[in-house]
Amino acid sequence: MRKYRSVAALAATGALTLGVAACGSSGSSNSSSSSSSGGSSGGSTAAAPKLPLKAGEDASAESLTGGKQGGTLTVLSSEGFSHLDPGQAYFALDYQVVYAMQRPLFVYMPNSQTELSPNLATTIPTAANGGITDGGKTVTVHIQPDVKFAPPVNRVVTAADVKYAMERMANPNVAGGYWTSYFQKAIVGAAAAKGGPISGIEAPNATTLVIHLTQPVANTIVQAMSLPGTAPVPESVAGPLDKHAPTNFGVTQLTATGPYMIQGEQNGNSITSGFTPGKSLTLVRNPNWSASTYAGPYKPPAYLDQINITNGGDPQVIGPQVLKGTSMVQLDTPSKSTVQEAYTKYPSQITFTQGAGDHYLTLNNVKGPFTNVNVRRAVYANLDRVAIIKEKGGALTGTPGTHFIYPGTSGFVQAGAYAGPNYPWAVHTSGDLAVAKQYMKAAGYPSGAYTGNATVTVVGSDNGADELAINQIVKQDMTELGLKVNLIQVDQSIMYSKYCMVPKAEVDGCPSGGWLRDFNDPYSILVPTFSTQAITPTANNNFGQVTDPTLDDMMQHAHLTIDPVQSAQAWAAADERIVNLAEAVPEDFDIQPNVFASNVHWVGDLWNEGGVNLAYTGLK
Amino acid sequence: MAAYIIRRVLWGIVTIVAVIFLTFLLFRVFPTADPATLLAGKGATTQRIAMIRQELGLNHSWLVQFWIYLKGILFHFNLGYSYYTQRSVLSEIGTALPATLSLTIGAVVLWILIGIPIGILSALKRGSIWDRTAMIGALTFVSMPTFWFGLILIYFFAQSLGLLQIFPGPGSYVGFTADPVKWFGALILPWLVLALTQAAIYSRLLRGNLLDVMGEDYIRTARAKGLPNRRVVYKHGVRSAITPVLTVLAIDLGALLGGAVITERIFEIHGVGLLNITAIGNSDFPVVQGTTVLAAVFVVVANIGVDIAYAYLDPRVRYT
Repeated sequence: MRKYRSVAALAATGALTLGVAACGSSGSSNSSSSSSSGGSSGGSTAAAPKLPLKAGEDASAESLTGGKQGGTLTVLSSEGFSHLDPGQAYFALDYQVVYAMQRPLFVYMPNSQTELSPNLATTIPTAANGGITDGGKTVTVHIQPDVKFAPPVNRVVTAADVKYAMERMANPNVAGGYWTSYFQKAIVGAAAAKGGPISGIEAPNATTLVIHLTQPVANTIVQAMSLPGTAPVPESVAGPLDKHAPTNFGVTQLTATGPYMIQGEQNGNSITSGFTPGKSLTLVRNPNWSASTYAGPYKPPAYLDQINITNGGDPQVIGPQVLKGTSMVQLDTPSKSTVQEAYTKYPSQITFTQGAGDHYLTLNNVKGPFTNVNVRRAVYANLDRVAIIKEKGGALTGTPGTHFIYPGTSGFVQAGAYAGPNYPWAVHTSGDLAVAKQYMKAAGYPSGAYTGNATVTVVGSDNGADELAINQIVKQDMTELGLKVNLIQVDQSIMYSKYCMVPKAEVDGCPSGGWLRDFNDPYSILVPTFSTQAITPTANNNFGQVTDPTLDDMMQHAHLTIDPVQSAQAWAAADERIVNLAEAVPEDFDIQPNVFASNVHWVGDLWNEGGVNLAYTGLK
Repeated sequence: MAAYIIRRVLWGIVTIVAVIFLTFLLFRVFPTADPATLLAGKGATTQRIAMIRQELGLNHSWLVQFWIYLKGILFHFNLGYSYYTQRSVLSEIGTALPATLSLTIGAVVLWILIGIPIGILSALKRGSIWDRTAMIGALTFVSMPTFWFGLILIYFFAQSLGLLQIFPGPGSYVGFTADPVKWFGALILPWLVLALTQAAIYSRLLRGNLLDVMGEDYIRTARAKGLPNRRVVYKHGVRSAITPVLTVLAIDLGALLGGAVITERIFEIHGVGLLNITAIGNSDFPVVQGTTVLAAVFVVVANIGVDIAYAYLDPRVRYT
């Protein structure tokens, strides 16, 4: 999913200087040949950079047990939710709330970025247990027989409810955010679906779901079915609401299957008493939920009796409120001053999660000066990623990006881990103008500087001092190569929806495009952002309009590779090609901070930026 | 007088229509996010976005769109529907307005009670230690950015956050009908933020005006006639000096009723200001337009009210 920088970053009161050096050493330890067109792949696999974390701050070391039953948690967030409808939920913030109320087929363990566990399902389908058959083209999922919808629906969930949930994502009034990316072409009969029955999704009995695929991509689809869109939805409730454009399911009414439901939902599924968009959301226990209905390692204790979420506060105030208060957590990204205060004064109340996505500079691959691969390599070589991380706040906000499959995702190690591929233009994380000039010469500019007439248009976000500074770094690094840069700085939502995601806007560069994987498969990182098929006239996530048939074939090959090890290697090869051709320039691998009160037993979802898992979090 | 009032009201309507037009134009001319794309969601197809554009009337020329919008307001009092919540803008504003009214009216009362007496006393005791202290204090509060001052008050006095933890802090606001005591407590710090900075301005303004007025011939005449000093000051002096203050009050009141954005944001009071800033962040144009129209209406109404009040306050003013 596209990462939107949190509003919290707007109110930064100063750089987060933690008295530690930026992690520049992790990516710059490789020497390389001066070959201009190639380089050895899979450069030295440097270990993870040693972050200056204090005891308890490493999110990966969290304990899933330790909370006490009962209590009310107050959740503060500057931002609101986009969607509570599981079929529409798309952003990380939405997930934190939706997963407390819904039970998709599968879910990642909170303390793992890769371990998938059954949620509504009884087991993870594999070839060994007969869940994946037909050479990877059929997936059979068995669901728990005793999961019930919350009141007033009350009845037992059936496979038909999951079938309906998946089919409704194709309804234009629902427009599931990842339907077209992952399911539309993969499922038989889904290509032309508009919300009606899909032949490739069958529910032969109450507890069995069978998915027929157009290609042997079962492994990816199983991972994709951890997304909230596979949470069961009763057609009797959602059907009439889905006729409204856009649907009112999740706005005025909702049904829950998870440990919590929205207050008031028992009254005709109406959520208006417990949910005021942009203002507040109150979750209470779902009386029909039972902890005994989980077959795998994922078994949420659901400690809390009630969760009160309020939106709209100022990030500069929310952070201290949480740190000094009791029974509170912050849902969205804390401000830099809050992170600094927590790191120094409240180290037991902050965690840092690595592998929280990445950011990169996209370059227009089809028009303008960046159609030349060596010009792109020059930009890559000269971009000062260390400076970018410094502007973001230092070592605990990210590590220099060296390729595009980021930490915690299958294929990351094979792709070079933190060091990345060993290409001459890629290894200097602080930028190297001399190397960059060599590539400008190779591009046909003997002086080492661009001498053409074109002006490159770079559109960046103005949401915060750090964003503005990063835009200036990009501009300066390009200007040093002789490029004339027209920098346009606008609100991030405008940057995306009016410029970078619109090919017709003909933008040459978009700094700090953020991406967070939708599930643990490099498919969800590389295909939506670098494949030719992903290019659309609007809402286009392939900002640079990368049109590389060889890359498309490599990604398709990786997608169809069933063996996980071979698949990871194939994805790594695709990742390396993107670096090789400098089709975009990585900026950083993100690290996400999260803060909470001292009496909170915090459990965050590592797979979702470490954001709070409300079904596992409790009070001490 | 009646003719004057009617004329002012009609011009007020023209002003409001002009504000609506300019706001509408700004969103169409300057770079903004495409509402159809935002509303369509992440998985929307091009056809879906086109359908939404048609449903919202975005495929018409902006002049036609403006006419449709204006008709809705004038004949149906319909400000449109929020792209974000799908609720009517009118109901969104209606939900938020009581909080803004609570904040604004309370702050206005406080800053008048503080600013006016200080201004009068400073003028009457010009050059005294009282005057100098009051004006230094006023200058200090005038110089403080609202955002910073609010954070300072929270840092010192907010419960669960501050050093002294006396008053309820951010997020504690509840409606008057829900709990009047809690309502009052939650507004003390926000009222102080608004009132102290504004009172400083008003005290300085009134002091200056009153000093000018007290030097006028008719004041000298009133004293010469043997009128009590209290009567000279209040009935003749302050009554004249306060008219410019009323003008400023009208503008301030109207603007604040449109939403004290910073104060509402810091103290998490879900009023019109916070509604507006959230809508801006979501590119929720109908809501932003609606709150802008509301602010314009308040400013125009407040100014008309002040203009009418002039005739009663200042005998030199007569309207035809």
